[in-house]
Amino acid sequence: MKHAGYDTGTLRAYADGELEQGQSASVAEHVENCSRCGAELNAVTAHAAAVSSSLDQLPQTRWDAGKTDAGWTAFRLRRNQEISEQQARRFPLWRIWSIAGAGAGVALVALLFTFAPLRSWAESFLSIFRVEHFTVLELNPAAMHGNLQNDAFFNQTIGHILSDEVTVTQAPQKPVPVSDAATASKLAGFKIRLLPDQTPSALLFRSGAAAQMKLNRDRLQSILNEAGHDDLQIPESVDGAIIGLRLPAGIMAFYGNCGNMAARAQGIQQPANHAEPDASCISLMELPSPVVSAPPQIDPGQIAQIALEFMGMSPSEAASFTQSVDWTTTLVLPVIPGQTSYEKVYVAGNDGVLLRPRPPRDAGHFTLMWVDNGFVYGLVGSGDDTTALNLAEQLE
Amino acid sequence: MTVADSWADDEFEIIFREHFERLSRIVRRVLRSDAEAEEVCAEVLLRLYRGGPKTVADGSAGGWLYRTATRAAIDVLRRNRRRHEEELADGAEASLPTDADGPLDRILRAERIARVRLALARMKLEKAQILLLRHSGLSYQEIGAAMNIGTTSVGKKLARAESEFSRIYQRQQRMSGTAPRLEAAKEGR
Repeated sequence: MKHAGYDTGTLRAYADGELEQGQSASVAEHVENCSRCGAELNAVTAHAAAVSSSLDQLPQTRWDAGKTDAGWTAFRLRRNQEISEQQARRFPLWRIWSIAGAGAGVALVALLFTFAPLRSWAESFLSIFRVEHFTVLELNPAAMHGNLQNDAFFNQTIGHILSDEVTVTQAPQKPVPVSDAATASKLAGFKIRLLPDQTPSALLFRSGAAAQMKLNRDRLQSILNEAGHDDLQIPESVDGAIIGLRLPAGIMAFYGNCGNMAARAQGIQQPANHAEPDASCISLMELPSPVVSAPPQIDPGQIAQIALEFMGMSPSEAASFTQSVDWTTTLVLPVIPGQTSYEKVYVAGNDGVLLRPRPPRDAGHFTLMWVDNGFVYGLVGSGDDTTALNLAEQLE
Repeated sequence: MTVADSWADDEFEIIFREHFERLSRIVRRVLRSDAEAEEVCAEVLLRLYRGGPKTVADGSAGGWLYRTATRAAIDVLRRNRRRHEEELADGAEASLPTDADGPLDRILRAERIARVRLALARMKLEKAQILLLRHSGLSYQEIGAAMNIGTTSVGKKLARAESEFSRIYQRQQRMSGTAPRLEAAKEGR
């Protein structure tokens, strides 16, 4: 007589408790009375256990809730980067530069400077360094603008330089929120420092950015010539040199009532009646020092001398300033004295600069910037100098 | 009903948060390093994101993710198969310690893991996927949804997958002289 038992698949499902209740009861009753199916069930179960024992050798991942948050943040960054790269294929480079918030050189300055005293291209000229120190450069924008007799030519030339000679190798991304300091540290690749005993109202991770620029001596010289500075000669040696700028990933933390600052930093459009920050708002930025790489034939002091003269300094003033600065390790903060006051300070023994807007813009706001052990910090808030320095020295 | 071309951010975040942990765990079991697993998971999630909701219009996002991720992970495993074979052939013997149980245990465990992965890499793709999904805790219903098969077929396919795994795994054991030598070394013989 033919055996009307259950097939291996059904017995396997029964052993796993994956049959519906009625079918499961039928199988249980059958195997109880059918030695052949009972033996088959035992064999299936033993075989499954043996395979399971082998597969259990494979590593199990430890998991905590933070991993999902970190994964989501990393995913968004990668997705945003992919979208940027798609845009990069669709648009000319100068437009990407503009879309990306003026590119790596300017992104650096945008991150570091709360005040925007000068044209961004000028700031990028000054940013050839690995930051170990700060110094302040007082500039007269009227003298600089006076040099620019043909703005259209100037803008067009800058546009061509960005379009033809700058390659964004890592596009800057909009900052993304992260849930906690551990996640931010993991994403940033360094242990972030925050104000003790205070929970940020927003914590943002900003990815790194990088760009390369191939110097075109003739084009740069044409800018100087057009500005009436044909006395300034860009050395032949710079022609074709590749200058690299790398802005490492960093974080931004907001404390107190900062209104829509975090949302604005993420590029989220705000309603007309958005909340404004109040005096309790403190924002902190930190990132490893940006790095500019240049071939050995580039003399940063020589380039700086030309740039400073171009921006309105006399040759002797420019020479004096240039000689006082180690251009490979110093971040020069351009300041317009009529708009911004500054004071050189020390934060836990490190060089720093405390900047304040001058009246009528003065509302007790400060911007404190300092360098500590290869990291650049910027702290923006309201209060007196002692408050600013105390906050900075509390970071842990 | 029309299906949107792209995911709304919050919609995709819900999918991500629902499946990311399990997806990561499954893929990491197959692959040798966190970096490899993260890359596979990220690429699979990006594929789902790029494809938009129409990618999973006929099924569940979870099912699509598990099917695609296990296939991608096994593909990586197969590309690295030669490396696993070399590890089994001679990797452990070169650094065989003589007087410390801890390191030897680690070597033996690494060898067993390599052997399991090698067997998975040698299996038929669908069978390896079903086996992996089941032994990662998915129900028959979830496996059916992931592999586009009826739930009632899962038991049979799983049993066949286990048979194929055992056959390949045991053949590897017979072909390899390394494991017995290591086990003997551990037992002091």
